[in-house]
Amino acid sequence: MFVIEFVLLMFLVSIFAGIFGSIVGLGGGVVIIPVLTILMGVDIHFAIGASIVAIIGTSSGAASTYVRDKVTNLRIGMFLELGSASGAITGAAIAAYTNSAALETVFGGILLVSLVPMVMKIGEEIPKSPELKGMPKRLGLRGSYTESDGRVINYNATRPVEGLAGTAVAGVLSGLLGIGGGAFKVLSMDLAMKLPMKVSTTTSNFMIGVTAAASAGIYFARGDVDPLIVAPVALGILIGAAIGARILLRSRNTTVRKIFAIVLAIAAVQMILSALGVPV
Amino acid sequence: MNWRDPETMNVVIGKVLRYGVILSGAIILLGTIGLAATNGLSDTSGMLTYNPNTVPHDNLDVSLGGLAQGLITFSAFSWIELGVIVLIATPVSRVIISVFLFAAERDRLYVLVTAVVLTLLLFSMLVTPFIPGFHA
Repeated sequence: MFVIEFVLLMFLVSIFAGIFGSIVGLGGGVVIIPVLTILMGVDIHFAIGASIVAIIGTSSGAASTYVRDKVTNLRIGMFLELGSASGAITGAAIAAYTNSAALETVFGGILLVSLVPMVMKIGEEIPKSPELKGMPKRLGLRGSYTESDGRVINYNATRPVEGLAGTAVAGVLSGLLGIGGGAFKVLSMDLAMKLPMKVSTTTSNFMIGVTAAASAGIYFARGDVDPLIVAPVALGILIGAAIGARILLRSRNTTVRKIFAIVLAIAAVQMILSALGVPV
Repeated sequence: MNWRDPETMNVVIGKVLRYGVILSGAIILLGTIGLAATNGLSDTSGMLTYNPNTVPHDNLDVSLGGLAQGLITFSAFSWIELGVIVLIATPVSRVIISVFLFAAERDRLYVLVTAVVLTLLLFSMLVTPFIPGFHA
């Protein structure tokens, strides 16, 4: 394949990845990795390096819009980053002593199981907001955002410790494998903290850039971030994220949840296939 | 700008992210145009082989000196690398600026939370790659 063909193809695929990644809060790696490894025959190391850059691109590209329009909850994001950042370091520290195939099987299984509560909430537009008390109150874990039709949605968070534990798991996964953190972040905010779906995916989207940056140093130093692969991916992702952010702001929470459930199922299967030795 | 107004934080962080993305996107675009102009009709097969025995692999010099050298000689790969570094630095600068924004809001709890996150982030990015046994 000519360089120019590869660049154009990956650019187009990455626009698509950026659109979906920014809506579901996972960052586009779910699409980028299998396209690179299976369709393009690129080594999994390069694919993960490109995925890290794709995650940072989706995160910053879409968050600039989400933060300005106040759908992302900055305090909840900063608080949960305590979990993801310490998890990422833990993941790096235990990488030598863990069997990544076994871990992927376990985490892939957890994602599959979490599809059940996700599907049971499939028609939920706005969760019934709990009373703000105790730790969430002291931490200021509440917020409001305006829907595109002008409705103001007020919400309070609950169970911050469970949320923090979930994002710590997300961090460990990112630190160990370079992938898979976003799904656990969204699930923590949705299932444990009871936030509106759009707040969960956009706050996850906001956080994944920091988690990915935390492990970017090692991939960069190893030479896994290949300019030829990363250039079209970054450019496409940035354009896709800008488009995806506009779509999310106009979408209903129920629509975002349906798209997330589909991507969650794909991510779970991917993780289990990866454990079985398929480079995805 | 009223620095005690909580809305200020959304505006400033939104802008930091937007400028970071535009700057890195512009640099990567320039590098990609350069790459297409110089190597557009080369075959990718030799360029995408991963050899774990020569990490960092052959067609990439990830040292600072190598990067500077490449930028001066207008190597497309080095310019793309610079753009990627700016992209990686964008969320990091967002965390750094958040520390000051929470301080401006007089929110001591979140100054502490953000400062801890920043410390963990910098440790993870700059120190753990050099600790033997990590990332093995």
